[in-house]
Amino acid sequence: MSHQQTSKPKSLLKRENIILFISGLVITFIFAFPLYMMITTSFKAESEVLAIPYHWLPHEFQGFNNYIAAFDIAPLGLFAFNSTFMAVIDVLFTVFFSALAGYGFAKFDFPGRKILFWFILVIIMMPSQILFLPLYIQVRSFGWDDSYAGLIIPGIFNAFGVFMMRQFALSLPNEMMDAARIDGASEPRIFLRIIFPLLAPASASLAIIIFLFSWNNFLWPLIIIKSEQLRTLPLGMPVYTQPYLGQPRWAVAMAVSTMAVLPVALLFIFFQRYFIQGLTMSGIKG
Amino acid sequence: MNMTQVEQLSKPSIVSRLFGESLFARRRWWGLLFVLPVIIFFVIFNVYPIINGVYLSMTSFTLLRPPVWIGFENYIELMQDRLFIQSVLVTLGFVAGATVPVWILSLLAAVLFFQRFPGRDYLKTVFYTPVLPSLVVISIIWKVLLHPNGILTFALKPLTGMPEIRWLNDFQLSPISMIIVNDWATIPFFMLIWLAGLTGISKELREAAMVDGASRLQSFLKIELPLLRPTALFVAAISTINAFQGFTLQWVMTPDRGGPLNVNTTLGLYIWQNGFVYYRMGIAAAASVILFGIIILVTALQMSLARSDQFSSD
Repeated sequence: MSHQQTSKPKSLLKRENIILFISGLVITFIFAFPLYMMITTSFKAESEVLAIPYHWLPHEFQGFNNYIAAFDIAPLGLFAFNSTFMAVIDVLFTVFFSALAGYGFAKFDFPGRKILFWFILVIIMMPSQILFLPLYIQVRSFGWDDSYAGLIIPGIFNAFGVFMMRQFALSLPNEMMDAARIDGASEPRIFLRIIFPLLAPASASLAIIIFLFSWNNFLWPLIIIKSEQLRTLPLGMPVYTQPYLGQPRWAVAMAVSTMAVLPVALLFIFFQRYFIQGLTMSGIKG
Repeated sequence: MNMTQVEQLSKPSIVSRLFGESLFARRRWWGLLFVLPVIIFFVIFNVYPIINGVYLSMTSFTLLRPPVWIGFENYIELMQDRLFIQSVLVTLGFVAGATVPVWILSLLAAVLFFQRFPGRDYLKTVFYTPVLPSLVVISIIWKVLLHPNGILTFALKPLTGMPEIRWLNDFQLSPISMIIVNDWATIPFFMLIWLAGLTGISKELREAAMVDGASRLQSFLKIELPLLRPTALFVAAISTINAFQGFTLQWVMTPDRGGPLNVNTTLGLYIWQNGFVYYRMGIAAAASVILFGIIILVTALQMSLARSDQFSSD
C-alpha cells in the first residue's frame, strides 16, 4: 500500500486493474479448469485422455461417440428419467406447500404459531446424516424400500422452503387480502388467486434450489434403491469410473458427467439471478 | 399485524375463537390449516424417525428380527472399536481441512471480485461454475484429474520430479486429496455468500473511511471485516456442519469406499457401512447419535464465540 503521488491517477488505476485482472484470471482458471477438462475430454478418444503433454483440445475429435456409447454401458436414459421424475415432483410439492405454510405463518395469528415456527427452524438445522438411518427403517416399515415412493416421498417437503416463503410472505401488503375478504373471497381462493402469484419470484428461487438439491442428491437414493431400473443419475454414474469390457472409459464418464450437469447449467444460464439468490439463501451444497 | 392485535383484544376466549361469528376470528384457523400439511409431514418423516433412532441406538437390531433392548452396550462397543475411533479422527481431519482454508480462500476471492476491474463480471461468473455439478460428478471429474499419471501429476512434475503420484491410493496423500477436491467444490459457493455480505455493507461507510485517510487494507480490516460477522458465522456454521457429514467424495473416489486402510472412512461412511453393508442397525444408530452430538457441540461453540456480536440478535 504505497502512498500515491496524485499526478497521474489514471495510469496508476490501470496498473491496479491489470494486477486485479491477472489475479482474477489465475483463480478463475484454477476453478474452471476441471469443468473445461470434463467438456473437452468428453469429445476425446480414450487413448488421449491421459496424454502428456496435455491435449487442450481433442486431437482425435469423436463427435458425440462417447455420449452414444454411454447409453450402451448402462441404462442412462432410465437414470435420467428417474432423476427428472423425482426432481419435478419434489419441486412441485415443495414450492406449493412451502408457499401455503409460509403464508400461514406470515399472515395468520393462530394459537401455537410461535412454537410451530420454532419447530420448522429446528428441522432446518437438523443434519441429514442423523436422519438417514432411522428414516430408512421408517420408510421400509411402510413397505417403500426400493420403490419410487420410498425414493421420492421423504423429500417432497422442505423446511427451509417454508422458512424462505414466510420471509417473502411477510412483506406482502395486508390490504389486498382484506379487500378480497370484504368481497367475500374464501381463504383458499385468496391464497390461490392472490398470494401464490405474488410469491412467484420467491417460488422461482426455491424451485431452482430444490431442483438442484434433488437432481444432485446421492445419499438417500443410495440407501433406498437397490434395483438398477430405479437408479437416479448420481447413483448410476459411478459405474462409469469402472473399466467396461476391460477398458477404462474416462471419455465416456466425462460425457455422462457433462450430460448430468447440462440441465443445471441451463437453469443457471437462463435464471442466473434466481439461481444465485436461492443458493446464497439456502446454504446447501451436495 | 395490527389487525391481529385488535382481534386478540376483542376476542380473548378460545371458545369464541373457535365458534365466533367474526370474520377475522374465524380466519385465523385457516392459518393453522395452511401450515398443518408440512407440520404433519415433518413429524412423520423427521421427528419420529429421530426419536426412533435414539431408541434403536440402545438395541440390537439387524432388520431381520425386532429390536432387542441392550441399554448402552452399543456405545460401549463403539468406544472399544478402533475403526470407530479412527473414523472420528478421519472426520475431524477432514473438517479441519474443509473449514479454515475454505473460509480464508473464499473470503480472499470475494474481496478480489468485489473490486472493480475490466472483465470482472465474466471472470466471476466462470469462477463460480463449480457450484453447478453434483458431488458425484465432481468426484468423477477429479478421479481423472487425480489419475496417478494425470494432469495434476504432470503439472507438479517440475516441483516434485515424480512421474507418478498416487493421489487416491496413497494412505498419507489421499486424505489431503479429499480436502483439495472438497475445497475446490465449496470455495466458489462460500465466495458467493461473502460477496452477498460485502455488498450489504453501505458504500457511504467505506467512503467515509477513505476520506478519513484510511488505506484500503485498513478500511477492510477495521470497517468491513467486523461488519461481516453475521456472514462469517453463517459461513463457519454451514461449512462445519457440511464437513462433518462428509461422505460422497470419499464413497466415490477412494478405493474400497473409505480406503486405503480406512484413512478416508468418515463417520458418515462408518455409519453407512455398519447400517447398510453389515446391517448392524443398532451400532450405526449409536454412531449417528454420537455424530449428532459432536455437530451440536461444535455448532453451539461457534454460536457462543459469536455471541458478543451485536448482529446475532435476530
